[in-house]
Amino acid sequence: MPLNPKWQVADENEFLLRSWDDEFVVYNGATGDTHLLGLVAAQVMLKLQQTPTDAVSLAEWVAPLQQIEPDDEFVLFIEQILTNFDSLGIIEHSRL
Amino acid sequence: MKAAYSLVAQVLRHPETAVLLGLAEWDLLIRQARHADLLARIYAMLDEQGLIDSIPAKPRAHLESADTVVKRHAQAIRREVHCLRKALATIDLPVILLKGAAYLMADLPPARGRIFSDVDILVPKGHLNQVEAALRLHGWASSHHDAYDQRYYRIWMHELPPMMHLKRQSVLDVHHNILPESARVHPDPRKLIEAAVPAGEDQSVKVLAPVDMVLHSATHLFHEGELEHGLRDLADMDSLLRYFGESPSFWSALMSRAQELELTRPLFYALRYANLVLGTPIPESATINQTVVRPHWSLVAVMDALYGRALAPVHPSCSDWLTGTARWLLYVRAHWLRMSPWLLVHHLFHKAFLSPKHS
Amino acid sequence: MNVSALTPSELRSRLKEAGIFLQIGAFVIHVKTSIRSVAEGIGLLYADYPLAEDVGFADFHVRLISPGNLRRWFRPQVLFSFDGRIPFKPLPLDQAFPMLEWGMNWCVSGHAHQYLILHAAVMEKQGGSVIMPAPPGAGKSTLCAALVNREWRLLSDELALIDKADNALVPLCRPVSLKNESIHVIRKFEPDAVLGREVRDTMKGTVAHMKPPAESVAQRHVTARPAWIVFPKYQPGAPTRLEPQPKARAFMHMVESAFNYSLLGPQGFQMMANLVDACDCYEFTYSNLDEAVAVFADLKLPAP
Repeated sequence: MPLNPKWQVADENEFLLRSWDDEFVVYNGATGDTHLLGLVAAQVMLKLQQTPTDAVSLAEWVAPLQQIEPDDEFVLFIEQILTNFDSLGIIEHSRL
Repeated sequence: MKAAYSLVAQVLRHPETAVLLGLAEWDLLIRQARHADLLARIYAMLDEQGLIDSIPAKPRAHLESADTVVKRHAQAIRREVHCLRKALATIDLPVILLKGAAYLMADLPPARGRIFSDVDILVPKGHLNQVEAALRLHGWASSHHDAYDQRYYRIWMHELPPMMHLKRQSVLDVHHNILPESARVHPDPRKLIEAAVPAGEDQSVKVLAPVDMVLHSATHLFHEGELEHGLRDLADMDSLLRYFGESPSFWSALMSRAQELELTRPLFYALRYANLVLGTPIPESATINQTVVRPHWSLVAVMDALYGRALAPVHPSCSDWLTGTARWLLYVRAHWLRMSPWLLVHHLFHKAFLSPKHS
Repeated sequence: MNVSALTPSELRSRLKEAGIFLQIGAFVIHVKTSIRSVAEGIGLLYADYPLAEDVGFADFHVRLISPGNLRRWFRPQVLFSFDGRIPFKPLPLDQAFPMLEWGMNWCVSGHAHQYLILHAAVMEKQGGSVIMPAPPGAGKSTLCAALVNREWRLLSDELALIDKADNALVPLCRPVSLKNESIHVIRKFEPDAVLGREVRDTMKGTVAHMKPPAESVAQRHVTARPAWIVFPKYQPGAPTRLEPQPKARAFMHMVESAFNYSLLGPQGFQMMANLVDACDCYEFTYSNLDEAVAVFADLKLPAP
């Protein structure tokens, strides 16, 4: 497995999404689970829905939206989000 | 026969008559259907015929409520099959689904309006250990830890002890045959596996071939001790037969397959009671063929009396003074068919001995 | 005809023989029992409820039975039967009336999936209604009992029913269940409130049920618009405090208090989202009921 693997939203998932202020609730039709997401996590999810992406690229993409530097700490934060998403069955390793 | 007279059986035979019912009859129908676990089935039948909007609002609410539960449940089963497919793909085995999950994934009529509590799969006996290991790796665990239960299942039964997914809490039954090892007849499971067909487009999710599916359903119904859901299971049988029976070659294929798998007896009863209780159309050719395997008339008379009661909904409105006895006799019969006598005594004794701990 | 039209002995004999058909909100519940304390409880607390004798249809058929065996003399018990099925373990006979109340909650919450059902109290005033979800012990029922004695209409003290078609709140007005200290608190707060007999040593401690206002019972067909979601928290000695809660958080709390949210799938999500959208959401800490009532009186309808 590459060190910085690409992730994608598992293809059977169907999401419904609502947001208030900077928080999101997401319903996953495939699992029946509902999740509460902060802004960064929601941005990560939306990006992964569009195209398979790795943690570093995700950090570089999200950081400007948050007006922060995509430093190691932020990449680590993104990786934590990815680990959470993975354990919830939202994302999987990309075959691309 | 008695089971045929219940209001719920009448409506299953002729759904179009439901629009004629008054509120008091609806009251009884909803109660019987709830006890027989057939509320959602009735919803599905009325919906298919475009009649659901003609039903009075009060009973309709109960039918819709049941339909909501069934639809959500179907969603969960699809998810479960998806996860199973992933797990078994790691050992290059297809998922062969049995019973409810099979009806659902193959989009067959019995799936409409039906809840299945667990997923059942069939795997080659030689692969059992591999399958168990792959499942454990993907989060399933055996729910029976009692050494007696484990031994009992492994030596005498046709399935592993039920497994449960630790995260999703779903129950999975892994079968290597459709009848217990200890049963009096032994259909060869390899034949069933060879004939299995893809449920849909995905080649790795399979179901039994139509004739085998009907035979399994019949076997299940007439070797099963718990007839609390007898009418519901008979309704499954009925809708399978109505669906597959459209094809002209089906009936002769069914008869010869029953002989090949030594399952003519359960098929005889299944066709007999589906026809008597639910009016399932059986072509004459199949009826004539049936007379060859027909048991002695005195036995048929006894079975009619027993099943005629036991197949009715478990509701006070459908019971008489013999109903309890009939259910009990069929329970004993089912165990008799599934096990040799000494094993039966041993098992019932062990269960009785242990029950306080489990309850 | 209302229950109050029957004399106590008429009510008792009807309950014993054919049973009575109580019209409770949108449901008809057929209750049959020969247990005296149940007849008394119904006579007192359900006095204003109509009898739906000639509809012919009941949504739920329930019975309270005291099994006729040795236990009749030695620690007598009561069973709740749902059309012949026994869903719960027996309770001491003394708890028969609370068991009827709990059993009816179970009937509705487990079978009426034509609604989104929340474990919450619902009260309405001048066209706006407040939904109060809360875990046990949060003081939901106490607050609910206080408010319905101060001009709020009672829709339900336990089950919020939300209509799938229009997200309206459907009334299920029933006696308010009070526990332990709340019983005394409400007696003091509103000496005119009618309370049923106190039943001790139940799984919830001592319980007593408060008779709902007759006007609330009568308006059983009048649905209400959701306006506020308030998560109450009773905290002894705490100052009264109403704080806005972020809607996404409120959403997740609502999911926790729902009976059938996950069963309704995507529809449940949309309904819940629309509900949260339509409401102002708050956390409410209180210890003084008069102050609490004043805060609720000041709630402004959310901007449309």
